[in-house]
Amino acid sequence: MKRWWIRIIVALLPLVLASQAWAFTGEEVMRKSQAAFLYPGKDFKARVVMKLINKDGQERVREMTMLRKNTGDAGGDQKYFMYFFQPADVKEMAFMIHKYPARDDDRWMFIPAINMVKRIAAQDKRSSFVGSDFTYEDVSGRDIEDDTHALEREEKVGSRDCYVVKSTPKGADADFGSKTTWVDKANFLPLKEEQSDKKGARYKQFSADEVTNVKSIPTVVKRTMKNLQTGHRTEVAYLKTDYDLGIEDSLFSERFLRQPPRKWVE
Amino acid sequence: MFKFSLVEFSIRRPKRVIWATVALVLLFLTQFPRIQTDTNPKHMLPETSDVRLWNDEVDRTFALYEDTIVVGVANDTGVLNRETLGRIARITDEILKLEGVASRDVNGFTTITNVTVEAGTLKVGPLMPGAPKTEAEVEALRGALFGNPLLVDRVISKDGKTTAIYVPLEKGANGAVIADKIRAIVAGEKGTERYYVAGDPVARDTFGAEMFKLMGIFSPIAGMIMFIAIQLMFRNLSLSFTMMGVAMAAIILSMGTLIGAGFPVHIMSSMAPVFLMAIATDSIHIFNEFYFRYREKHDKLAAIRETMAAVSRPVRFTALATTAGFAVLLFMNIVPVQVFGGLIAFGTVVLRLFSFSLIPAILTFVKEEKIAKAAQNESAELDRTARFLRRIAEVGATRPLVTALVGLALVAAAIAGAAQIHVNNNLVAWFKPSSEIRVADTAMNQALGGTSLGYLVVNGGEAEFLKRPEAMRWLEGLQRHLETMPVVGKTFSVADYVKRINRVLHDDDPKFDAVPETADTVGQYLFLFSMSAKPADLDNVVDPTFQKANLWVQLKTWDAEAMRQVIHAAQAYQDAHPLAATVKPAGIAYFNLVWNDEVLGDLVLGLGLALVVVFIILALDFRSAKWALVAYVPLLFTILLIYGVVGFVGKDFDMPLSVMSTLSLGMAVDFSIHFISRLRQRLVESGGATDEAAVREALLWTAARPGKGILRNALLFAAAFSVMLFAPLTPYMAVGAFIVSMMLISALLTILYLPALVMLGRKRLFD
Repeated sequence: MKRWWIRIIVALLPLVLASQAWAFTGEEVMRKSQAAFLYPGKDFKARVVMKLINKDGQERVREMTMLRKNTGDAGGDQKYFMYFFQPADVKEMAFMIHKYPARDDDRWMFIPAINMVKRIAAQDKRSSFVGSDFTYEDVSGRDIEDDTHALEREEKVGSRDCYVVKSTPKGADADFGSKTTWVDKANFLPLKEEQSDKKGARYKQFSADEVTNVKSIPTVVKRTMKNLQTGHRTEVAYLKTDYDLGIEDSLFSERFLRQPPRKWVE
Repeated sequence: MFKFSLVEFSIRRPKRVIWATVALVLLFLTQFPRIQTDTNPKHMLPETSDVRLWNDEVDRTFALYEDTIVVGVANDTGVLNRETLGRIARITDEILKLEGVASRDVNGFTTITNVTVEAGTLKVGPLMPGAPKTEAEVEALRGALFGNPLLVDRVISKDGKTTAIYVPLEKGANGAVIADKIRAIVAGEKGTERYYVAGDPVARDTFGAEMFKLMGIFSPIAGMIMFIAIQLMFRNLSLSFTMMGVAMAAIILSMGTLIGAGFPVHIMSSMAPVFLMAIATDSIHIFNEFYFRYREKHDKLAAIRETMAAVSRPVRFTALATTAGFAVLLFMNIVPVQVFGGLIAFGTVVLRLFSFSLIPAILTFVKEEKIAKAAQNESAELDRTARFLRRIAEVGATRPLVTALVGLALVAAAIAGAAQIHVNNNLVAWFKPSSEIRVADTAMNQALGGTSLGYLVVNGGEAEFLKRPEAMRWLEGLQRHLETMPVVGKTFSVADYVKRINRVLHDDDPKFDAVPETADTVGQYLFLFSMSAKPADLDNVVDPTFQKANLWVQLKTWDAEAMRQVIHAAQAYQDAHPLAATVKPAGIAYFNLVWNDEVLGDLVLGLGLALVVVFIILALDFRSAKWALVAYVPLLFTILLIYGVVGFVGKDFDMPLSVMSTLSLGMAVDFSIHFISRLRQRLVESGGATDEAAVREALLWTAARPGKGILRNALLFAAAFSVMLFAPLTPYMAVGAFIVSMMLISALLTILYLPALVMLGRKRLFD
């Protein structure tokens, strides 16, 4: 039933976008933001370079090709495929996620050193994504229904007009107490996000550092997540970003996890 | 002649002196509200010391917390039941919400990372995300706990009756406040479980509270006891008040200076009030002499002048010796000891200034008839104490050889005892066995892996070194080697994770409970682990470049020696299994070892310095090295005897005791100075004859008259410090026992052995 609603809303999105006079609710802003940030295009590919930097400035690098394919509309199911290049000893490791908004993801990992594909439990979306300051939720999104969203004000981030939305988890399953997102009014990309922990102390801070149009889709190609409590931060650059490449559904299978086609991972 | 003019000024303008003192005291009193304590054992060594810099570096490299509170939960029927687990979950939840708690790295059942395989699916995540609702879930948890060696002895005891929640604190968090809140949280749970709240912050806080107790309760009691003792000795209230007033003024000036200058109060300086009170008793010699003089002259002002003239030299030199004894501490390596030395040296100088100003000023106000009444008893001929002292001196003076030989035999025995002394600082043992800290520490040590934590940092010198299987296996071998030692409870390293993941990936097959064959496999396993674990899980045991590993060694005892054994064992293992890596110890257990060795080094250095300085002062005072040597004997004898007893009893020779032995030189030498100065004065006053009979008679007079001052001084000193025998921390008790015995023994030895030695060496001394 819920799906049905989502579809309606998504279908109405262009209308909503067209009418500037429309007064959005916080939830609507966040829904549009999720669509613009995590669901654009039918599929997506990028070479992702992550720098994990501790407070002494020591860097660790994670480099991977990330593929994404939407199987439904915005807010619906997605499949992710990640093929690692760095660190050197994890080259050829591959990670696959089948993401379902309303239930636990399915995850698989290929471990080339022992030629094994292992299913990995996804009990915790809050855990760190490959050791970075991003959680799985930060990377692939959090269900809009899990939080209440309040449009607090409008404010500029740099030269961009933004909606400022405060999201508060309905349940106790989040790793944050609340988060505030600055959503660009023009393209609905989140430009800034501040998370507080459950004690109300500043916890993590996200920033979209560079936005460019790829196939006329506004895309955040540089982003940073900083843990304000540990001083640790993760800088992410999306290189060679592209959309609508026609990635086959069959790629997201255990077989290709072991031996993915060159053209997709290079 | 400055002192004399100060005395004259004080007698002529007594009111001005008194009011000036009162104003000064009030001024310094204003500093007291700013008092701060420092009970962090790390601050024993300066911030720039190698061990502190190194430990800080290790903390940074491996993302370790400076402070962790450990909450123990024990249930005699086992903690693995739904009720207890529900409580643990609730308590942990509440703790996570506390301000200042580093919630992301709290490790307990609900938060600690577990690596398991269930129906072919690898699971890396919290061990018990919520309290189990069914018996089956409890049994599953039991299986998970005992099936994972990483968790046994860490969050669950082998018998399943004890668990722990490790609560790291953010930098600058107030550990005392957080510990109190945790106590309130556990107090809210009804049930048969027992809770222990322990860890460094709790220990420090308790320590601080006990320090205030010492300063706020035990110091005043010591003062009261001294007051009563003085009153019993002189039976004159105004005199007793004078002595106490002088002591109080000196304490307030010294502590006010310390606090005002921004120094925090440490364990050592918390004893300063008692020390200063005791040192103030040196002015007993002034009163002692004043009474005798007044009885002879019946002219108050003249008696004051003459008294000051007679005692000025010994009082000045004893003050100098005491000051020097404490000032020697400024050369020590341990910060609180330096501060303490400076503080008491300063206080002693203040006290002596008062001796020549405030005391004569107050004496001018004492009513003559009262003095007359009190002084009636003061006669060396009539007095029982005086006769007793005379008799002791007679033994030494008439049978010097026998006395000396008995002394030599005692010295030999004492040296044998002293050889058995072993230096050890066990910070937990500083609390009494019945204290909450000791109880918690004992319980947790019995149940879990050990509360004293040391690290061994293995550095391969190049990135990725530790992913090599041979390095991993070496780490594992080192762990097994260390675990054979009785002092080691549990060890923990990155190799444990690698083995665990290997086994779990192969469907929990025990065959795979081993380090895999290739570096790539190790790298991929750890990568897999880091994808789901808390960042700290890996950061705590390996640096980001895999150049250095941090091996955790949990020790069952806080004895400094335990870590030395670990270091030796690691060295032996490395010798037997060479690996191109260095092993460097770190952690609080290592700090304690370094500090312990500093204490020993300081002891030797301090004693050496004090011996030299005191000898120089004695030689200057007597203008004779020979007399200085004689004066030295009772002093050395006393210290040797005490060391002998400490050795025989087997008590740990710790920092406070080591400091005391240095100080005691400066304090115990007072008696010799008074005795010899007055003896020689007496010989000059009585005509300068140095034949056997004249010297013997002078010796007996000295033993009876200034000897009474010595005895009174010793008794007062001992009375003040006897309070510390009942103090709440064992170092205070040890210091109390040390000073009490030192004062009594050295007074006795002075009166017995100086006559013997003077008689034996008469010809050489008086040639």
